[in-house]
Amino acid sequence: MADIELRNVSKRYTGRVAAVEDVNLHIRDGEFMIFLGPSGCGKSTTLRMIAGLENISSGELFIGGKRMNDVAPRDRNIAVVFQSYALYPHMTVAENLAFGLKMHKRPQSEIEERVKRVSAMLGIGQFLERKPAALSGGQRQRVALGRALVRDPAAFLLDEPLSNLDAQLRADMRLELVKLHRQLGSTIIHVTHDQVEAMTMGERICIMKDGRVVQVGAPLDVYRNPANTFVAGFLASPPMNLIEARLTGEGDGLWVEAGAMRLQVPAAYREAYRAYVDKPVIFGIRAEDIHAHQAQPDWQALDADVVALETLGAEVVLVMGISGIARADIAARLGRDYRAQIGSRQQLYADLAEMQLFDPQTTNAIPRPQP
Amino acid sequence: MRLKTIAPHIILVLFACYIALPPLWVLRTSFVPDSVAYQPALMPEFTWQNYVKLFTEGTFARAYLNSFIASAGATILGLPLAAMTGYAFARYRTGGQISRFVVLATQMLPPVAIILPVFALFRMVGLTNSVTGLMIAYAAINLPFLTWILMGFFEGVPIELEWAAQVDGATVWEAFWKIVMPVSLPGIAAAAVLGFILAWNEFLFALILTGPTTATIPVALAGLQSSNGVQIAEISAGVVMGILPMLLASRFIQRYLVRGLTFGAVK
Repeated sequence: MADIELRNVSKRYTGRVAAVEDVNLHIRDGEFMIFLGPSGCGKSTTLRMIAGLENISSGELFIGGKRMNDVAPRDRNIAVVFQSYALYPHMTVAENLAFGLKMHKRPQSEIEERVKRVSAMLGIGQFLERKPAALSGGQRQRVALGRALVRDPAAFLLDEPLSNLDAQLRADMRLELVKLHRQLGSTIIHVTHDQVEAMTMGERICIMKDGRVVQVGAPLDVYRNPANTFVAGFLASPPMNLIEARLTGEGDGLWVEAGAMRLQVPAAYREAYRAYVDKPVIFGIRAEDIHAHQAQPDWQALDADVVALETLGAEVVLVMGISGIARADIAARLGRDYRAQIGSRQQLYADLAEMQLFDPQTTNAIPRPQP
Repeated sequence: MRLKTIAPHIILVLFACYIALPPLWVLRTSFVPDSVAYQPALMPEFTWQNYVKLFTEGTFARAYLNSFIASAGATILGLPLAAMTGYAFARYRTGGQISRFVVLATQMLPPVAIILPVFALFRMVGLTNSVTGLMIAYAAINLPFLTWILMGFFEGVPIELEWAAQVDGATVWEAFWKIVMPVSLPGIAAAAVLGFILAWNEFLFALILTGPTTATIPVALAGLQSSNGVQIAEISAGVVMGILPMLLASRFIQRYLVRGLTFGAVK
């Protein structure tokens, strides 16, 4: 077991823009860390640099306190599970599991014992003599995981291991990986572009974009306090509604104005936002903070033109426009019984307790007190 | 309407005959006595005598063995080298596009252009009139071609397999021999058979570099056109015997080329 530390780590390919730029990150011993970002954001490249499969162009990498920049992958004592599983097709499941131990010249009795233990743990005991081609996707996934587990490594690096599975299996494996982590207590870095995986599995999320770390934090913390509009728009589905607006002041009060919408900023945030009065801002509100009925006196009425209704069973996502606002994809998560005519105008209620304002120039969130 | 379906078939049959008739006629000629070989009759007389004579008199049996040693030896010698070179090109882009082109360019050189320098070199080190010399020459000549073929196969091996092996504790060298090579087996088998065929059919180098006891099949067959005239029936028997291993090999290569061993490794 070990912690992993990246100091100013960059990856540049000759003649191309940097794939990873100046990443500073400390993954604690035993932590379940998620690398989240759209494809091409550098998360897999970062993972491969940690594994030693890509050279680090500049910066330093430490695993368990030891500098690892020039250490071969085999001497880093880490295990990687690839998206494609990368099982050795000419070997049986048992041979696949044993390969790493054989490479490390472990005694035969120990190899057998460990293969047996891990295959029992993952429920692949009955497939040991099969070749990977004769396994289903889920079984292959387990073998790939087993190949990592069997070596008892200092850290696990998982490169989108669930993305080839169907929805049900993915949900099962999500739970199982979390359970496994609790059981083993090892350091895990899990790369994904799936925000559900990110929210449900990780102890911390590291969100990347264009080769840079945008925000690192606990899932809920990142969700409630996105550092900029990218994080706000990326984490969660539907994403946070981002509306170009203007902040106006009248006496003590502050208002967010956009088209026909005029909402009062909660008193707690006034001081923080006052510097932006009479300036353009990006107003961010989560879909679950727009309600069908006024349950609290401070929820503010909002006239919405219904564009579409997505009935998901457990909830209804109302997609709406607001007159005077160009975008017509503002989302609200409403109760499962909510119904409305497409094209009709409905009154909804916005709860601004968790609102965010972003600076349109930098796209960064304007700091405000915690709700 | 009927004409529309018949016409293409007539053309196809004609083309099939155009391709198949000459070798079939060689097969027919190999089973008739020399005296009636040139007659247009389909099978004026049947005999095994041409085959018997071919292997009991003269040097054909010896040439058969020489061909086999030279071709197999060249393949065994050249294949590992070609595999490593092809892998370097495929995985590490060694030398960039230019070096890939140079490898291909060697194949554009007519063999006549290099046969004299090769002869001069071989005479210096005493490798003329020897099957070993021929083997070395064939391995060298086939190397670029085999490299090119294997490069294509290695490019198809997912790099994650090698990464997995390296993380599992293998060196780059071990990952190549324990993972990449077995996974590329169909490609390697195909390259081996192609290399063998090329060497087996080669004439010019064999003619210049060998003597009576070290001649290969193509040279021995050419030798049957002696001052006594062309022994066409015996030559036909020799041609049939020369083609036979290739026919078997082509079945083999087909099976291996079709079989994708990597299936199941990745998704």
